[in-house]
Amino acid sequence: MTRNLTTRKTPASLTWRAVVLLISGALAAGSASAADESAQISAQQQQIDALQQQLLNIQAQMKQLAEQNQTLTRRLQYDEHRAESAQSGTTQPSTATPGSANAPGTAASGLAPPGGLTPSGNLSPPVAADVTPGSVLPPTAVSPFSNVKLWGYGELYYTHPTREGNKTEADLARAVFGIGYTFDEKTEFNSEFEVEHAVSSASDVGEFEVEQFYVDRQLNDYATLRAGLFLMPFGLINEHHEPVNFYGVQRNFVETLIIPSTWREGGFNVHGETPIGLSWNAGLTTGFDLSKWNFAPEFPQYATALDLEDSDSAPLQSTHQELGLANAQHLSEYLALGYYGIPGLTLGAAISTGDAAKVAAPPNAPILGNERVTLWEAHARWTPGKLDLTALYAHGSISNLAVANASNPGSPNPLPSEFYGYYAQAAYGAWEHGEYRLAPFVRWEYYTMGERYSGTDGPVVPAGLLPLSATPGDYGYWPRNYDRVTTVGANFYTTPHVVFKVDYQWFEDNRTFDRLDFGMGLAF
Amino acid sequence: MSRSKIYASVALPGLCLLAANLVGCGGSSDVSATSTTQTTQSAAAVAGKAIFFDKSLSASGKQACGTCHVPSRAYSGDPATDNGLPVPIGGANMDQVGFRNAPSLVYASFTPPFSLSGGPVGGFFRDGRASTLAAQAQQPFVTDFEMANADAAAVVAKLQTSPTTLAAFVAAYGTTPLSDPTTALADMGAALAAYETEDPSFHPFSSKYDYSLGGQATLTASEANGLALFNNPGKGNCTACHPSQAQSFSEHALFTDFSFDNIGVPRNWKIPANTAGSVSPIDGAPFSTVLVPVDVPSDAEYAYYDMGLCGPFKAATGDVKARVDLADTPSLCGVFKVPTLRNIAITSPYFHNGVFTDLHQVVEWYVTRDINNNTGNNPNPVAAGPGGNPYQAVGTFYTAADGTPDLYEYNDLPVEYDANVNIAEVPYTPPTFGGGQAPTLTAAEIDDIVAFLCTLTDGYDPTNPTAYTVPAQCQPSAAASTAASK
Repeated sequence: MTRNLTTRKTPASLTWRAVVLLISGALAAGSASAADESAQISAQQQQIDALQQQLLNIQAQMKQLAEQNQTLTRRLQYDEHRAESAQSGTTQPSTATPGSANAPGTAASGLAPPGGLTPSGNLSPPVAADVTPGSVLPPTAVSPFSNVKLWGYGELYYTHPTREGNKTEADLARAVFGIGYTFDEKTEFNSEFEVEHAVSSASDVGEFEVEQFYVDRQLNDYATLRAGLFLMPFGLINEHHEPVNFYGVQRNFVETLIIPSTWREGGFNVHGETPIGLSWNAGLTTGFDLSKWNFAPEFPQYATALDLEDSDSAPLQSTHQELGLANAQHLSEYLALGYYGIPGLTLGAAISTGDAAKVAAPPNAPILGNERVTLWEAHARWTPGKLDLTALYAHGSISNLAVANASNPGSPNPLPSEFYGYYAQAAYGAWEHGEYRLAPFVRWEYYTMGERYSGTDGPVVPAGLLPLSATPGDYGYWPRNYDRVTTVGANFYTTPHVVFKVDYQWFEDNRTFDRLDFGMGLAF
Repeated sequence: MSRSKIYASVALPGLCLLAANLVGCGGSSDVSATSTTQTTQSAAAVAGKAIFFDKSLSASGKQACGTCHVPSRAYSGDPATDNGLPVPIGGANMDQVGFRNAPSLVYASFTPPFSLSGGPVGGFFRDGRASTLAAQAQQPFVTDFEMANADAAAVVAKLQTSPTTLAAFVAAYGTTPLSDPTTALADMGAALAAYETEDPSFHPFSSKYDYSLGGQATLTASEANGLALFNNPGKGNCTACHPSQAQSFSEHALFTDFSFDNIGVPRNWKIPANTAGSVSPIDGAPFSTVLVPVDVPSDAEYAYYDMGLCGPFKAATGDVKARVDLADTPSLCGVFKVPTLRNIAITSPYFHNGVFTDLHQVVEWYVTRDINNNTGNNPNPVAAGPGGNPYQAVGTFYTAADGTPDLYEYNDLPVEYDANVNIAEVPYTPPTFGGGQAPTLTAAEIDDIVAFLCTLTDGYDPTNPTAYTVPAQCQPSAAASTAASK
C-alpha cells in the first residue's frame, strides 16, 4: 500500500519539467514533417518517461536516507544520554515502555536495554521504506513487520511469611506482552496484555486484562496527544513497573496501596518535554467508582503481605475501574510535572482530582453532594556515584462520605476520607562484572489506608482470634490497615533484562506479615 | 455469599393474632387488616387480594392464604391459632398439621429465582422449590395439610361459587381461563403474586431503622450498638447472611441475601412429624397425611428429619409438599433458605421448625451453640449456673423428646450429616477454637442486638413515635424478664 501511495505522487517540480520538455518538443516539431514529428515525439516521450522514473527512484532513495539519518541521530542522542547517565553513577536500570515517554529521568537511566525495544521512545526500527522493484534500498527494510513492535515482561515470586509458614506461596504473578504499531513517524499505537497469577478461568484466581491500549500522535517537537487506555504518570513505579525497574521482589506498598499501581484510566492527555528538561503531562480521564467499596467484609480481605498487595482492598485499588464498562458520568483531570535538567536528579509531582461514581447509600439518606477523589504525589530520585536514592510521598482524599459511613456502623472497613504513605529508599551498585550487577538496597515506608474518617470513628477492628475464611480451622487476627515496613534486599542482574531478587520485610503493626521473598523478573 | 451462611431461618406459623382477627377468620373474605392503595394497583393485584383472604377457596372453608400469613404479623403465621403449634393446621377437616413454620411474606417479592450455581440461592418456600412467587402461590390450594383441594379443578369450582372473588378474577383475566382449571389456577397464582408485589403492605420499608437512615428517627444507644454488633464480623457477624447493606435485589437493605445454610438448629418436639405415632392435637386422631420420610442414614437417631433442600419426603410424582429433586445430594441435607430479618420481632416462632419463640433465645443459641452443647460434639462442655457461664444450661437447646439433654448436638439432622453444619463463621465458636470457649457476645450485647432487631419492625411513625406499638418482646420489661430468668 505504501508503494502505491508513493508511485501516485507527482511532485510539482517534475510536472513543470515535463511541461517544458513537451513545449520544447512541440516547437522543434514545427519545421519537420508529420512523420518525423511523430517519431521525434515518441522518442522524446520515452526520454521523459525515463527521466520521470529516475526522479522517482532518486526521491525514494532520498526519503529512505532521510529516515535512516533521523533514526541514527536519535539513537546517537540516546546513547549520549545513556553515557551521560552512566557517568553520573545511576545504577537503577530501566526498561522504557510505552508509558515511559514522560519520565525521562527514569527512562534514560543506567542500564536501559539497547535501542529498538522502546515503542514510544522514538527508538523503534526504521519505518518501512517505499520500495520499488530494482531499487537500491537495503533488503532489511522490506519486512512487512517493520512497523510492528513486540515486547514483554514478567515476574515470579516465592514469598514465605516467617511467622506463618503455612501461608508460603509461589506465583507467576505477571506475564505481560506488548504490541505496538507505527502508522507513520508521528503516529503510533501501543498496547499491553497481562495474565496475572498464571491461570485465568472461572475457577482460578488469575485475571487476563488489557493494561494499556492507546494511540500517540506527535503534534510538534514538544507536544504529543495520547488517547485510549493509558498508565497514569504518578510516582516512580506506575509507568515503570517492569521488575527490572524497581528494587525488591514486590513493588513498594505506598505505590500499591496509595497510588494504585498499575493505575490506568481511559481518556486522553497531552504530554511533552522542553529543552530545559521539564516534562509535563495533562489529561482528562475516567475516575473512580466508590460503589465498588465493600463496607462489610466478613473476613479480613488480606491475611498476608502478599494478600495485601493482591486483594485490591486499598481505597483506590478497590474502586479504580480500568476501563471495564467504567462509570463515566464524571471525569477526572490530572497534571504531572517532572524535571530532569540536572544530571542524576529527577524530580516529579502529580495531582488528579474528579468526582467519583457515588458510594452505595440507603435510598432515603440525605445527599451530601458529589464525592470527589483527589490523589497527589511528589517524588525525587538522586543518583550520586553508585548510590541510588529515592523518596516519595503520596496522599489521597475523598469528600462527602459521612452518610455512607454512618449507615454502616460497626463496619470493619469504612471508606476513608484521607489516606497517605511515604517511603525513602537507598540502593548501592556494590558489584559489577560485565553484565552482572549486584545492587543491595534498604527501604523504609509507612502507609495508612485510613488516616481520617467521617461519619464514623474508624474501622471496628474485631478483636482476638477469628476465622480468616470459610474454611473451618483457618484462624488469625484481623489486620490493621496501616503499617511501617522496613525492607532489606538486593537485586542481582545477569543482564539488564533479567533480574533475580531477594528481600526480607519487617512489619511493625501486622507482625505476622514479616516475610522472606525470592523473585525473578525479566523484561525485553 | 459463600457456603458459609451463618444465620438460619426464622420461622413463623400461623393464624390470626388478635381476637378481632380470630373472629375475622370465620368470614370468607376478610381484607380489613391490610392497608392498600387499590386505585394504583392492577386488576390482577385486586383479584389477588380477594383470593388471598377468601377462605371459601379451601376444602375446609376455614382457611385462606391470610390465615397462615397474618397481615398484623408481617404476613407470617400465628401459633395462637394453631393450638400453640409452630406449624400451621389445615386439611379438609382442619385436623392436619404441616411440618414447617409459615414464613413472612413481606418483602418476598424481592426473592430471586432458585439457583444452584455458586451455591444455592433464592426461590420460594423454605427450600426454594418454587421458582417464582406465582408458582409458589398456587401450591397451598392443593396441599393436603393446607387448603386441601383435590386438584386445580376443585379450586376453580370453589372460585366459581365465590361471587366477589370471581368478579375480581374475571375483571383481570376474563372468563376464558375458567374452562381450563390448570390455566385458571396459574392465573390465581399470578394474581396473588401481583398482589404481593404491588400492595405497599408487602414492602413498606417503614421501620424505625429505615427512618433512622434518613435522619427522621434516632436509634437509642442500645439499638445503635446492636447494629454495630450486628455488622461487626468479630461479634454478631449477622450481616454476613442478613446484609444490612442494599444488594442487587432492592435499593433497600433486605436483611437476607437469599442464600441457604445449615446451622444445626435444635429439633422441635412440638412438630408432630418429629414424634412417632403422633396424633392430632385437635381431635386426638392419628394423622392421616405425611410422612414417608426420605431414607435417613442407618446411624440416625430418629426416623424422621426435615432436611431442607434434601426434602423430608420421598420423591413422589406431583408432590408439592417439599422438594424432591435434591434428595440425593447429601451435602445439601439440612440446608434452608436464609429469611429476612425485617419484622422479625413480630414473626415468632423462629427458624424453619419454629423451635425458638423469642429473639433473645435465638441470639443466645447462636453464640453458644458449640459451647453449651451436649456430650455428643463438645469434648469440654462448659458447666452452667453459678461459677459457670451465664448462658443457657448445657443441654437446654438440644433436647430429646422427654426434655432431657439429647445424645447429640445438631439433633435435627442425622449424625452422618453433621459435617454439613456451618462451623466456620462467627458467631459460632467451634470447640477447637484457639483453646477458648467464650461466646462472641456478652449477655448485654445480646440485649443490644435484640434491641436493634426490634427496630426492623415496619409501621413506625417518626412524626408520632409514641403511637407505634412496640412488639411485645421488644418492650423493656421483656428484656428485663429475660435477664431475670438467667
